[in-house]
Parts: sequence; C-alpha cells; structure tokens
Amino acid sequence: MTMTTEPALRKRRPPEPTAHPPRRSLRPILVGWSFILPNFLGFALLTLVPMVFGLALSFMDWSPWGDPEWVGFDNFERMFRNSTFWIALWNTTYYAAGHIPLTIAVSLGLALLLNRTLAGLGFFRTAFFLPYVTSLVAVAVVWNMLFNPTSGPVNQFLQFVGVTDPPGWTSSTAWAMPAVIVASVWRDMGYYMVLFLAGLQTIPTELYEAARVDGANAWQRFWNITLPGLRPTTFFVLIMCTVASFKVFDLIVVMTDGGPGRATKVLSQLIYEEGIREGRFGLASAISLVLFVLVAGFTVIQFLLQRRQENR
Amino acid sequence: MKRYPSALAAIAAASAVTLAGCSSPASETADPSAPVTLTVSAWNLDKTPEFNALFTAFEAAHPNVTIQPVEILADDYPEKVATMLAGGDTTDVLTMKNVIDYARYANRGQLLDLTDFVGELERDKIAGLEPFDIDGKYAAVPYRQDFWVLYYNKALFDAAGLPHPDHLTWAQYSELAKKLTSGTTADGQKVYGTYHHIWRSVVQATAAAQTGGDQLSGDYGFFKDQYALALDLQNAGAALDWGTAKTQKVNYRSMFETGQTAMLPMGTWYIAGIKAAIEAGTSSVEWGMAPMPQISSGGETATFGSPTAFAVNEKAKNAEVAKEFIRFATGEEGAKVLAGIGVVPAYSSDAVTAAFTALPADELSKTTFTENKKVALEMPVSEVTSDVDTILNEEHELIMAGQKSIDDGIRDAGDRVKNEVL
Repeated sequence: MTMTTEPALRKRRPPEPTAHPPRRSLRPILVGWSFILPNFLGFALLTLVPMVFGLALSFMDWSPWGDPEWVGFDNFERMFRNSTFWIALWNTTYYAAGHIPLTIAVSLGLALLLNRTLAGLGFFRTAFFLPYVTSLVAVAVVWNMLFNPTSGPVNQFLQFVGVTDPPGWTSSTAWAMPAVIVASVWRDMGYYMVLFLAGLQTIPTELYEAARVDGANAWQRFWNITLPGLRPTTFFVLIMCTVASFKVFDLIVVMTDGGPGRATKVLSQLIYEEGIREGRFGLASAISLVLFVLVAGFTVIQFLLQRRQENR
Repeated sequence: MKRYPSALAAIAAASAVTLAGCSSPASETADPSAPVTLTVSAWNLDKTPEFNALFTAFEAAHPNVTIQPVEILADDYPEKVATMLAGGDTTDVLTMKNVIDYARYANRGQLLDLTDFVGELERDKIAGLEPFDIDGKYAAVPYRQDFWVLYYNKALFDAAGLPHPDHLTWAQYSELAKKLTSGTTADGQKVYGTYHHIWRSVVQATAAAQTGGDQLSGDYGFFKDQYALALDLQNAGAALDWGTAKTQKVNYRSMFETGQTAMLPMGTWYIAGIKAAIEAGTSSVEWGMAPMPQISSGGETATFGSPTAFAVNEKAKNAEVAKEFIRFATGEEGAKVLAGIGVVPAYSSDAVTAAFTALPADELSKTTFTENKKVALEMPVSEVTSDVDTILNEEHELIMAGQKSIDDGIRDAGDRVKNEVL
C-alpha cells in the first residue's frame, strides 16, 4: 500500500526549499523506528528471545544446575506418558469452554443493560468494573469464603431454596471447576463489558430509528443491528478472552491449587510445577509448546471464521 | 530533560558500587580478628525466632563477625535457593529447610563437603544426623530436630473431667476426641475434640512411622487404618472437616490458641510458637504435651520428624567463618540458645534440657520431651521423593475430601507411583 501511494502524494506536495532533499525522506522512517524501537527491543529481549529459547529447550534436558543436553523428543514422550498432563489438558479445555462463552454472554448483557440513560449509571459501570482491578488473591479468597461448604452464603442460599445436599464446591471434584469458572467470570465481566460498551457507542442510532419505523421489535433490532454492529468488538473480545482463558493460572492456584486431587490442575500450573518446583525446564518447555499450539490454533481458527463471515 | 544526566550518573555510580561489592576478592581473611560479614539464608525472620537468637548469640561471641541474613519467604524457600545457587550465589551459610532439598543440593555438588568437620563432632549427642549421610559423606549438620507430639488443652480436659492424654492408643484418642467435642468458645465457635491439619503427613507419615511402611514403595496398604481413623473423626464431627480446613486456609495455630480444639498432633517447632503467642498476650491457652498416640499400648513411642540443618555454600566467600558459625549453632552453646526460646535443638545434653524452659511444668510434658522414642524421618530421601510426594498429596486430598474411598485412593496412589515414577 505505502509503496504505491507515497510517490503519488509526494508529487502533489510543493517542492520544499531544503538543501538535502534525499536525506529528508529518511527522517519519517527513523522517527517511526524510534517510536517502535524501545517497545520492540523490550518485546524482542523479554518475549521473542525467551520464546525461541523455550522452543529449543523443549528438546533438551536442562535443569538449573548442570549443562543442557539434546534429548530429541524425550520430553514429549515423557509428557504424553504422564497422566497429569492429559488431565491438565482436559481441565484447561473445560475451563476455556465454560469461561469464554459465559464471560462474553454476561459482559455483553451488562453492556446492553448499562448502555442507556439511567440514574446512577456511572456507579453501576464502576461497580461492575471494580472486580477486574481488585487483587486477584483477594477475589479468590472471598469466593472461597462464599463457597464454604458448611457456612458459606452460597450453600446457605441453596439450602434456603430447598437444596438439601448442596455441593462442597472447591472440595468436590465435580464442582471445583464450575466454582472457579463462576469466580473468574465475575472477575472478568467488567473489563469485557467496557469493551462492549465502547463497541455499542459506534453503532449509529439512525439504524435503530429506521428499524423502529419499520416495526422491528427489540429482539429483531438486537439480532439485526446490534450484533452485526458489534462484530469487530466481539471478535476482539473473543480473541482476548480465549488467550486469557487458556493461560489461567493465578486464580486457580489461589482458589484450589489444582485440587482436590487434580480436578482443577491446568496446563500453566503444570508448567510452573515441572519447571520451577521440579527444575525440569525441558519438560516444562514441552508443555508450554503444547499450550502455545493450543492458543495459536484456536486464535487462527477464529480469524479464519471471522474472515469468512466478512467475505459473505 | 536536564535531570536525566545526573540521574544516570547516580545509577551508574550505584551499580559501580554494587559491582565492586560483588567482585571483591573471595579469599579468606588471614587475620582472624578482621571484620567479616557472614551471610546466612533464612526464612520469615519474624516468625522463626531461632535465626535472630542464634545470630545475636554468635555475634556476641565473635565481635568481628556481622551476620547478614538473606531472608526468603518460607513458601518459596526451596525454589528461591535453587535459583540462587544456579546463578552462582555466594551466600555463605545455607539453611537446609528439609532433607529432600538437602539431597538435591548435595547431589549437585553445590554444598561444601563437611565430612571431616562432622567427624570432629560429638556425634552421639546430635540427633537427626543420619539423614544427611550420603554414601558416608556429609554436607550439612542439623541444629534443630523436630518430632511430632500431641498438644492438648488442659483447661478443656479438666472441664470435661477427663484424664490427660498420657500414652494413648489411637482408639483411646478417637474416643477422647468425640467426648471432648461439645460446647462453644467465648467467640461462639464450636469446640472440636481434635484438629488434624490438612498436610498428608498427619495421616501418612504417622502411619509410616508406626507401621514401618515405606512411603516411596508404591504399596500403601499401611495407610489404611490411619485414614479410617481420620475420616471417622471427621464424619463424627469431632475434627474439623478437611474440606473446610483446606478451602478456608485454616491455621492450626489459631485453632489451638483460641481453644477451638482440645487436641492437636503437631511438630515440636510449635512449642516456640505457643510460647511466643502467650508472651505476646494473643493466647491464654493452658497447654500440655503428650506423646503421639500409638497403634498399641505399652511399646516404645514411635513418631516422625525432620531435622533442620546448616550447610556451607560451595561458593561461600567466608567458608571458615561459616564453619565456625555451624560449629557454634549445632553445638552445646547454640543448643542452649535454641532451647531458651523453645526450639528443640538437635544437640542434647543435661545443660540444654535445663535451658529448655518453654515446656509446661507437668510430668507428662517433660516425659514426652525426654523419653526414649523412635523418630522416623517424615519422608525418605531419594531422587523420586518429590514426585512421589506430589502424587501422595493429590490422593490424600481426594480421600480426605470424600471424593474417593480409602481403598481407591490407596490403590490409585500406588498405581501412579509405580507407573509414572518408579
């Protein structure tokens, strides 16, 4: 694009009274680079290099002591033989499958609810955003209290409405993951709500007015105007939420520490345990590679689906 | 903009000083009275009084030495020390928080060989030296030797008109716990007969120590009776249920210090904790100490424990002073200092016992402390220890949370250890 338009633009410009016109043309490029460079350097040094290094590491046996040794696919073999890896892979998928749709649904719902003139609007928007900026450890601790099997408000409420044997939540293998998902949706909804609110502002009100004139009801307006209008936002939210979901770590570590047993152990936690606690950098890198492929795969699929929808 | 150069200069100067500090010659000082700064790794200094007590006492005896603690968060201690050592850290004395980590560091050659040094010690007076023996070589010396006992709340026993828990069997313990479960504390909390902390050792290490079972074997039938007992107490409401203790991150100290439990199996490190809480006025618990309950009555008391030790970094800057510190801390003088604050030293002698004033004055507490007993290591040391520990922990959670039957949990733990670790 730039290659073709730049000369055309320059032609239209009046000739500039400078002594060294060829050098001037370098300036925008240098300026551009100087803006990118600090950030790029940081990215390259702290993200790109470690990533490539991590990739290489997954084919090595290397602990913090001793020298690296090239072992080929040994780490992957070991990973596939480890039952905890499969459980963590399944748990990660389970968490993402619950967390992504729920978060999007709840945050979109909140955004629609708060995208109108309403008394105390600012208060509500802040209130829903607040969990996102609250310390995650505090969030986890508070939800653990709410989910307390004996005296927690959640189970007291369930008993009040007639559930005789409410679940033990984080101490039950069946309910621990749903409990974690609920807490994480609650925490994240405010952030994505703000994104959706911004998206809603971009939809021209004339469209709604025209639809009203044509006699479209609320559902039809939502389906035919709001949703298509929000598509770029939804796409962005979906990608961000997917990446965040697959990388979930801190909330789980504080709420359940992967337990009971291995019921909520996710890949990122396994990477931490194998890498930092056991000092098996190679194995941890191999698991990270799987996580990377998983996230990249889902992101690419979403891009492809999005492009197909746009082309339709 | 103009401020930057001076700020940069300041940073440069600061790093130059730091770098200079790092690259100072690592050789030993020839003059024994020349000032030395000895660095010692430690965790949670404010909650682990033994460190400051030992440091102060050593400094008083060696005026030329200043001890600079390298404080590390207790939970992150093993990872942090491993990372430090991998990065060529030169901290002189390294505290070995447990034997498993010790084996790792020693096998990697990160600790100075202390075999000759150990040879000069009065070995028969130092308990817990054996686990540090790696093929006849030693790289650490224990200064603290904890073992598990049964703490009990005298006031609650007396109020219920029950005799103090002197050399119980597990059956008697269970019966007592159920009888003591009643009423509420001043804060309106339920009073439990006993409290089992969430650690797997409470059940598994106890079973291993008293049946002679091997926690690394993959055959865990010997856990069964102890699990049956723990679950029965929990189901009867005589012990706080595991799920609540885990999810609410219940602190065993507050359970005992606020009188919410009449009994508590726990390690002897807690003696110093109770002493500190009472001195600080945060607890008024009338406490005593009894031997751990046993499978059958009349025999020698079997319990488990773990030593804590000091080692010298292979890359230490002041190796000789470091050895001097270890000689002090693990010997009689250090032991007296430790005993004075209620920490159980590895070194024992009559003088040390006399200095141990943290115990209640009753005969039972004294017997518990001084009687002959068999102290098994909490977890055997080997290359696979930490992997087995992870599996045993996971299955322990499932059994205690009622998510798996005892038999299934024991079988799965064995299968996983045999298939994935051994």
